[in-house]
Amino acid sequence: MKAWLVAAVLAMAGAVQAEVLLSDAEISQTLSFGPWPPQVRPDASNRVSGQAAAIALGAALFNDPLLSVDGAFSCASCHDPEQGFTTPQARAVGRVLLDRNSPSLRNLAGLRWYGWGGKSDNLWAASLHPIVDAQEMGHRPESLKRAISESLYAADFQGVFGDIRDQDAEMVLVNTAKLLSAYLETLVTPPTAFDAFREALARGDQAAAERYPDTAQRGLQLFLGRGNCVFCHNGARFSNNEFHDAGVPYFLSETSVDEGRFGGLNFLLSSAYTLDGVWSDDAEATGAWWVRNLRRSHADFGRFRTPSLRGVAETAPYMHDGSLPDLEAVIRHYSEIDTERLHADGEAILAPLHLNAQESADLVAFLETLSAGP
Amino acid sequence: MIRWAVWLMASSGAAMACDADGVPMVAQENEAPAVYLAVGEVPLAQPFSMRVTVCDDRAITALRVDAIMPAHQHGMNYTPRVTALGRGVFAVDEMLFHMPGRWQVQVDVALGGQATSYTFDIAAR
Repeated sequence: MKAWLVAAVLAMAGAVQAEVLLSDAEISQTLSFGPWPPQVRPDASNRVSGQAAAIALGAALFNDPLLSVDGAFSCASCHDPEQGFTTPQARAVGRVLLDRNSPSLRNLAGLRWYGWGGKSDNLWAASLHPIVDAQEMGHRPESLKRAISESLYAADFQGVFGDIRDQDAEMVLVNTAKLLSAYLETLVTPPTAFDAFREALARGDQAAAERYPDTAQRGLQLFLGRGNCVFCHNGARFSNNEFHDAGVPYFLSETSVDEGRFGGLNFLLSSAYTLDGVWSDDAEATGAWWVRNLRRSHADFGRFRTPSLRGVAETAPYMHDGSLPDLEAVIRHYSEIDTERLHADGEAILAPLHLNAQESADLVAFLETLSAGP
Repeated sequence: MIRWAVWLMASSGAAMACDADGVPMVAQENEAPAVYLAVGEVPLAQPFSMRVTVCDDRAITALRVDAIMPAHQHGMNYTPRVTALGRGVFAVDEMLFHMPGRWQVQVDVALGGQATSYTFDIAAR
């Protein structure tokens, strides 16, 4: 049933007929993708979350090669603010060619898991691991403490955390990560054409809703319906923040694989930097339930975290290994998906969609409305 | 292996014939005591809570809660927390449905030396 089929300006000869194509059920589903941006509380596990001085210092450190042991690159080298906090390379380049695509760093506040394999349950841990990863920034806690102490940032660091001489090297590492986290929490994509459409639907403003292009509406209908995209890409971030096998090969070579969530869980459960660990500032251990009560499965092998689709048009290439160069390729992947690549005992969700050219174009048009545009 | 959220009786408090909130769950056996499930709005991919009430005056020795998505052949990714509140009432917290669609809540109740399974379908949107 069409909810609104009234032409916009029927009285005017030659007027273009615009309409809302969605059914009542589709409108109800559409409302679940907002409002945007969502309200996010300060991170209780990070005592400097939301503090202006920490955010400013975190932003400066994010863009400074000081955080790599030899000054070779900064966080921004792989997460370029001018490119949606990612880069155009399929796979990130640290000290070596890494296994995965650099994920965008926007809209990260308040998530349950971070990273393609979910090896962190909080944003400061996700910020910490690359600093000490030998293939990425390459610091040890001692070298980082020395670098911070001898830098122009020493006074500001101590303004936030107190005398750095009273902090052991690991504490300096964690505090540095919490500064980065405080900054990253502020990175939020702006409302888009989709949000304007959703808000118009929410307030019953038909005239405003009709301005959303028909092709994007048809794409949204596919997204909600036959495409089954909404199974994983749901909520205001267009992600359930859980882990799925999307049928992308996870062999890195003939002899090695990207373990995905399986490896992420191994890392997480041996990490000192979880919400259940001593480095969290939250005495109530809010959120620690998830790491304590995870269910493991061999089907976790090759599963990757559902990425948000907010700003997706700005963050090509796509998938965990960056193997799909543009949105058209992503749609083609799901349209022609090889189910032989899926876990035999995995979720029975994906099947070839067999989309025609118009349907594929409609889906791309919809996805592009999740970005603010140039 | 899937772990179940399980509550094991630590005291000898018996369940009472009840004035329960919620809707009756479907027992997998005839002549089973009534079990009620009370649940409000289910937010998609966010934790929510439920309440289970067992209407029987015998001692409950264990109560297990889980949920599956039959059409997708998967369950929840986390084990929910079950807390006995007394008089046959149990709080179930940290439930999380990470996909929209039909979920089947499953409750196993052990009392009087035998276990009975109950189900109830919830549509997550």
